[in-house]
Amino acid sequence: MSDWKIDLAILAVGAAAYAMRAGGFLAVGALPQTGLLPRLLRLAPGNLFVAFAAAGILEGGWPSLIGSAAAIVAMARTRKEWAALAAGFAGAAIAAALL
Amino acid sequence: MSSAPATARPFTAAGFRRGFIAALPFIISNGIAGAVMGVAYRGLGLGFGASVLFSTVVYSATAQAVTLGLWALPPPVAAMMLACAATNARYLVMSAHLRQMFPDMPRRLMLPILLILGDASWLMTVAEAEKGRRDAGYLLGSSVPMAIGWIGGTALGYATPLTPDGPVAVAAAFLPLAFIASLLPTQWRGRRSLLPWTVAAVVGIAVAGTLGQSWAMLVGGGVGTLVSALRGDDV
Repeated sequence: MSDWKIDLAILAVGAAAYAMRAGGFLAVGALPQTGLLPRLLRLAPGNLFVAFAAAGILEGGWPSLIGSAAAIVAMARTRKEWAALAAGFAGAAIAAALL
Repeated sequence: MSSAPATARPFTAAGFRRGFIAALPFIISNGIAGAVMGVAYRGLGLGFGASVLFSTVVYSATAQAVTLGLWALPPPVAAMMLACAATNARYLVMSAHLRQMFPDMPRRLMLPILLILGDASWLMTVAEAEKGRRDAGYLLGSSVPMAIGWIGGTALGYATPLTPDGPVAVAAAFLPLAFIASLLPTQWRGRRSLLPWTVAAVVGIAVAGTLGQSWAMLVGGGVGTLVSALRGDDV
């Protein structure tokens, strides 16, 4: 696949990301401040992340499961993303070596 | 959502400097996370330019990790855009709040700043405003070191001469999932999260086995979100 098509796909994803960043600023009058939509926006991330993680663990097997558990525990204890990534990486590597 | 009084100037150079200095540590922390993303992109076979472009235009660890998990050739553009919008929907609320906070800030100035709006710079700016120091210069100033760390980290991570092999290669392939897993504690709302998250996981797994990985997050997460909303988990 040619590079420009890959770049175009990345730009399209970037456009979606920027639409979210600018959308609220531009359309604040049109966005309801109460009701179902803002509630869904608040509740969505956690549920989306869980579904993504569950499907990813199913595909990745034990290393993904143990790595995810290590990342979650490290984040819950330290609240530092870099520590969670390091713990997850180590957990997945150890699991891949042993299992 | 509260409106800040539009009395003081909405953008000052002093605010920029204050925000920039306050956010300097993010060059390191975002740099480390960005480097991890760079390693993951190289493992995926993306070119250096495409990897840096990804971190520049998408500029979101969450969205990049999710789209990395969906990446294939040819790229499933619609699914990736949808996943990116879904995972970044919180920015709608955040930028709407910024409009309330800076009603006197011209769009031609604010819209470019929003290109590098991040969770942390938004939180820092809101905290400043609550102390009576509302300043879009602070928003830009605090966003810049974060962007330098993330984009520069991606470039450095990609360029690092490491060739993962064996268990390390498995762990490197796991990194996008690690980004998402590390976010879960920040979203946990106590025991009330248990049922919707279980539903989201079960539906996600079922969808991954039938429609494929691309839709697992969107369908599973969508169903879980509905369960959360119907139960009133946010009130």
